[in-house]
Amino acid sequence: MKHSRLPLITTIFVLVFFYLPIVVLVINSFNASRFGGTWEGFSFKWYIRLFHQREIWHALRNTLIIAVGATSVSAVIGTTAAFALHRYTSRLQRIHYTLIYTPLVVPEILMGMSLLLAFVAIGVKLGLFTIFLAHVTFCISYVAMVVLARLQDFDFSVIEAAQDLGANWWETAVKVLLPLLAPGIAAGALLAFTLSVDDFVISFFVAGPGSTTLPIRIYSMIKHGSPPLINALSSILLVVTFAAVWLSQRLTEEKK
Amino acid sequence: MSIEQKKRLQETLVTLPSLGWLLVLFVAPTLIVFVITFKPADPFGGIGPGWTLETLRSLANPNYPAIIWRTVWLSMLTTVLCILLATPMGYFMARVGSKWQKVMLLLVIVPFWTSFLVRIFAWKVLLHPEGPLKQFLVYLHLVKPETSLLYNANAVLLVLVYSYLPFAILPIYAAAEKFDFNLIEAARDLGAHSLRAFFSIFLPGIRRGLMTAVLVVFIPALGSYVIPDIVGGPGSEMIGNKIAQRTFVDRNLPHASGLSAFLTLAVLAPMVAVLTLQKRKGEKGPLIEGDA
Amino acid sequence: MRRRMDLFTGAGEVTVSEFLEFDNVSKFFGSLRAVDGCSLEIKKGEFFSLLGPSGCGKTTLLRILAGFENPDTGRVRLDGQDITDLPPNHRKVNTIFQSYALFPHLTVQENIAFGPRIAGHSGRQLRDEVGAMLKLIQLEDQAHKKPGQLSGGQKQRVAIARALINKPQVLLLDEPLAALDLKLRQRMLIELDLIHDEVGITFLYVTHDQGEAMSLSDRIAVMNKGKIEQIGTPAEIYEAPRSSFVAAFIGDTNFFEGKVAEVIDENYSRLEIDGFPDVTVFNDKQIHMGSAVYLSVRPEKFRISRDNPLEDRLNNIVRARVEDVIYLGSSTKYWVRCQDYRMAVYRQHSRYLLDEKPIRWNDEVWVWWHADDGFMMERYSESDEKLMDGPPDSMGDNGLFDVVRPNRAAK
Repeated sequence: MKHSRLPLITTIFVLVFFYLPIVVLVINSFNASRFGGTWEGFSFKWYIRLFHQREIWHALRNTLIIAVGATSVSAVIGTTAAFALHRYTSRLQRIHYTLIYTPLVVPEILMGMSLLLAFVAIGVKLGLFTIFLAHVTFCISYVAMVVLARLQDFDFSVIEAAQDLGANWWETAVKVLLPLLAPGIAAGALLAFTLSVDDFVISFFVAGPGSTTLPIRIYSMIKHGSPPLINALSSILLVVTFAAVWLSQRLTEEKK
Repeated sequence: MSIEQKKRLQETLVTLPSLGWLLVLFVAPTLIVFVITFKPADPFGGIGPGWTLETLRSLANPNYPAIIWRTVWLSMLTTVLCILLATPMGYFMARVGSKWQKVMLLLVIVPFWTSFLVRIFAWKVLLHPEGPLKQFLVYLHLVKPETSLLYNANAVLLVLVYSYLPFAILPIYAAAEKFDFNLIEAARDLGAHSLRAFFSIFLPGIRRGLMTAVLVVFIPALGSYVIPDIVGGPGSEMIGNKIAQRTFVDRNLPHASGLSAFLTLAVLAPMVAVLTLQKRKGEKGPLIEGDA
Repeated sequence: MRRRMDLFTGAGEVTVSEFLEFDNVSKFFGSLRAVDGCSLEIKKGEFFSLLGPSGCGKTTLLRILAGFENPDTGRVRLDGQDITDLPPNHRKVNTIFQSYALFPHLTVQENIAFGPRIAGHSGRQLRDEVGAMLKLIQLEDQAHKKPGQLSGGQKQRVAIARALINKPQVLLLDEPLAALDLKLRQRMLIELDLIHDEVGITFLYVTHDQGEAMSLSDRIAVMNKGKIEQIGTPAEIYEAPRSSFVAAFIGDTNFFEGKVAEVIDENYSRLEIDGFPDVTVFNDKQIHMGSAVYLSVRPEKFRISRDNPLEDRLNNIVRARVEDVIYLGSSTKYWVRCQDYRMAVYRQHSRYLLDEKPIRWNDEVWVWWHADDGFMMERYSESDEKLMDGPPDSMGDNGLFDVVRPNRAAK
């Protein structure tokens, strides 16, 4: 629409809308005042105070343990899933696809609730392990979708070429398929990692005492605690996220 | 073993890890939710022995219909607002040069990847009764000093839209990117004016993206819990709040389970509707055009 | 085992089995008969082409030999060994894919070395092998580049080297020139020919381009709708097509619809053609009197002149009017109209005669051709099948050869 400026205006509005709270947050994290209302000077004190919060370090440690574990497992399972979905088109795959697709759409609270009930009913103790299991469950779908998208652009004749030249299925997978699929898998793994680090609702439901993750800690801080510390923590998380997004973009771009 | 059988076995082996995991940790727990609805609560907050219909009966709580209606209503509003904002934006992004497209995509994705809690908290700060935004609006005489921007349904709606907008933008943008804009030129050439071309050519052309956007906003919105919990008040509770309350505060797992079962059914209905609609039109393939 | 005998091979050498054999091979995809009962024998060292339009089954047949498709019926034998159930990586057969399928993450050298490495070669032996190949394809200085940095022609040569280094018994080429532009294609045609002569292994070449097939092949199998229409040398295919499909698919031709009116002697018959003078034609197929036939005459077989040629009982002479003149440089294509028919006539300019007046539009001319230069095929309908001694080469979907379009002019 050459004449209408509406799309452009909408876009600008939305982008401002997106970034406004984030910008305010970051600014406030350097605000020496305790209440966001008034500006009392530039200060690092909240960051320093944050550094000394032992519970936060503990929560961060838990989060990272779970994230690394969940990412690794879901990367493998998600890749095999994507491969199956791409290669075969039977009824099994149609069911498979629905199963992969559904976790992406259902509300997290349902997933959290159902897993909690399952663990309680079976008698599994809630803790880091249950959180790990839950995270793998939803990460598989994300990894599968990312890798599947990559596979669809994949020229399969190189697989046939490898077989034609004498490679068995193992040699073909290791020497040809995986190297070419690696960037896609990495992008999927990065997405899974971010989702795992960021997950609150599902973790909240299946966590046990002593297995606090960072988001759970942030939540309790929001409900009961010190806003400026959260500001500072959030700003740090933002920087880390920016870096992760940039890295992921580089990975998906380079192989084009 | 014949070639066909070998292939079948191969397929089963490759599918097994993901299929197995999801059956055990996704499908089975969902079924368990329905089962536990028929069990009594035990006084320690767990699940008691035996079976009962008591939980079902307690679900007929007179407060619930209002909450259910509010949940559905807020979710629908959120969906509509997201689509209204995302469609022109997707249109714009698809038409702009490819260099800018990458930048725009990044700009949209970054907030989406930042911590969800952080973003909600950011709004809590922004909408704070003594916060700068409120002061600014009072200064402009747009709101009275007594009105609270926070802890009501409007705040919930605002933050819902904020949170789910990227989920709407991505599929619409993906569909718009694949759209052949020459079709609009052709329509204009045949006499249609811009608005007409937009509604009768562009929108149907990105129909799949629109449906995906509706699906990935409406359904998760139905289950919102954190947003009404942090920026909402007692008058803006949604089903998610109630489920969490029953689980953690009242420690009545079967009751919470019953609510979850209900929500599950409510969620399955539109999903099944969309999927059969797609199959009827003979379209196959992923609804979501890949994640970024 | 069925064997195909053509006109010019005479009694033929009967061998017990050939080097490469497809024995009644079929492949169905659901209800689609991609390959339908094909039998084929290829001699060792031959350059053999599978030629046909898209969808005729030639690529499927190739893939069955490579091992990427399993036939639903029939067997494939290579050098006496039945390889039908062998997986592709165990066959001594290598493929040049249409998209080349070079490994994008490996260099030229590593691509070529792939097969030998799998086979366990290493060290000096491997280096020498790869070096020899690089020399053959003249890409020694590109050895460390990745496929993304190469041109189309270079990629193709790497694909060839990568296959040949394994010393396969058969080299399969799946439309390898399709992605190249015209000039490059012509160059690669020559190179392929040279490589075949130099290396001496059996080539099985798949293409839809008759020019490629005719210029490269020792023998061609023309395929249509999953069946083999005819096997023969390029000359046999061109000059003595056994079905209307082959006649229409290869080169240009003119088709006439007629009926055998009289058998003149053991070699010749007279055809009655509705809307055209009677025609004498060589009847090698012993087609009976009264049969409905298609007559095919290629445009270069006609002679055209303003002067009346001499009467000759074996020459068909007709009077026609020139409707179109298309000057092509080395030849001219005339469209002439004789009664109800429009014919294409090629005349080569072997001699430029200064004082000869050129044939122009709307001129009245004489057109003639020798009875031996036309060939005919029976027109079959479903009911006629019962009257035949043996099945025709190809029936097409409707019982008639649906590629044949008689040159009837619109009124």
